[in-house]
Amino acid sequence: MTVSQVNSSSIFRRNPKLAWREIDGEVVIISPDDSILHELNETASAVWHRIDGESGLGDIAKSLAEDYGAPIETVRADVEELAADLSAKNLLLAREGEA
Amino acid sequence: MATPVMDRLIRRTVASAVPLNIHFDLTYRCNERCVHCYLDHEDHGELTTCEVLEILNQLAEAGSFFLTFSGGEIFLRKDLMIILEHARRLGFDLSLKTNALLVDAERARQLRALGVRRIQVSIYSADPAVHDEITKVRGSLERSLAAIRFLKSEGLMVKIACPLMKQNLASYEQVFRLAKELDVPYVFDLTITPKLDGDTSPLAHRAAGSELLPIIQSRGCADDTRPASPPRIDEDSIASVSSSGIEGSAYDNRLCSAGHNSCYISPYGDVFPCVQLPVPSGNLRRQSFLEIWERSSGLKKIRSLRESQLRICSTCEIRRFCERCPGLAMMEGNDLMGPYERACELAELKAQQAGLANPVSAWHRGLAGRGAREAAHSSLSSSESLAQ
Repeated sequence: MTVSQVNSSSIFRRNPKLAWREIDGEVVIISPDDSILHELNETASAVWHRIDGESGLGDIAKSLAEDYGAPIETVRADVEELAADLSAKNLLLAREGEA
Repeated sequence: MATPVMDRLIRRTVASAVPLNIHFDLTYRCNERCVHCYLDHEDHGELTTCEVLEILNQLAEAGSFFLTFSGGEIFLRKDLMIILEHARRLGFDLSLKTNALLVDAERARQLRALGVRRIQVSIYSADPAVHDEITKVRGSLERSLAAIRFLKSEGLMVKIACPLMKQNLASYEQVFRLAKELDVPYVFDLTITPKLDGDTSPLAHRAAGSELLPIIQSRGCADDTRPASPPRIDEDSIASVSSSGIEGSAYDNRLCSAGHNSCYISPYGDVFPCVQLPVPSGNLRRQSFLEIWERSSGLKKIRSLRESQLRICSTCEIRRFCERCPGLAMMEGNDLMGPYERACELAELKAQQAGLANPVSAWHRGLAGRGAREAAHSSLSSSESLAQ
């Protein structure tokens, strides 16, 4: 999924095949399919934790903006870009029916 | 070699003492009787299924991520699939070590479905006569190879582990070719250790260092693995890299990973810094994992030790060629911080191979010096006694 296909109403879930763990505030992820180790920084980890297969990216961005005291528009753009990136890496899966 | 992502992960888990890497032996029972094995193959009261699952809960809570189940032969545990399923639910990255005798097509499919990432299978030779003579199970090579093919066909990452000893030394080229034919990575392991109870009889199977030199020269050992896919480029928020597991040397001046970001759990719940470092640190039937990890005096002591404190080895001119293991130093030399013969022997061979003229380890040099001094002293004493 590319950034242009992702918007505030997009809903993602974590790929259930993945092994992952939060270590000292940062999430590490590894896929048994390709053995690629991924490390998310603190902000990306905060997004990862909020991905629940039900919340839209807009709601996630709103929650983050409130917690971090950041401008909602900036946060929304970052969250959408990150979701597209994680989706391209097959770490996130778009909810069925999404593009 | 550590990748930047793995290197960073190792550094921060060592710095904050997170038990990133756990080696968990689920049983010492085995359906092979390998001549060099360090275990007794008996069940002295293994952890129950409930106990194992509770320990896994505690490990996940403590931040453990890379989890290797080993034995003994793990498939002799009838509850293995329940344990694996629970471990995956808890988000662990799963690796198995097995002889794979009990792995058929259905088991391979189940392992794939459970998200097991890596499976290491012990293969001693491509010649059934040699392999089966080591395992003492007729037909074992054929069954292990069939299992590797089942596992590969499911897309699982399989690696051959080949401990080298007198019995299979001549087979290493065959094993290399076999790994190529099966399209799997391989590792030759030169480490034959005493039994856990201190019995040194397995050491009789060790090949002489001079016999291992051609193998060290031609194939590399212990860390000779091929990554599953090429590394990726670091990004701002996501850093990604291919990995075959715990690698690298981001341990600075520490002796190794043992007790810093890794530890070993026995089938009876005993915790040690490493399977090869038998420093009793606690038992999970009496204490929680975090109580042991954070409060054990044995683990605290291990964490306090540094390479620079190695009285003899830190002064050794050929230290860079040495793969000294603190556990083997303890088991073979009775001194965790001391030198031991095998490490010095192999370091000298590697240094020689690298082109150094007559390399001698600091320990051997000291022994030779002491021998000369003692000889001189003995000679002087004789003179004195003659004079008297």
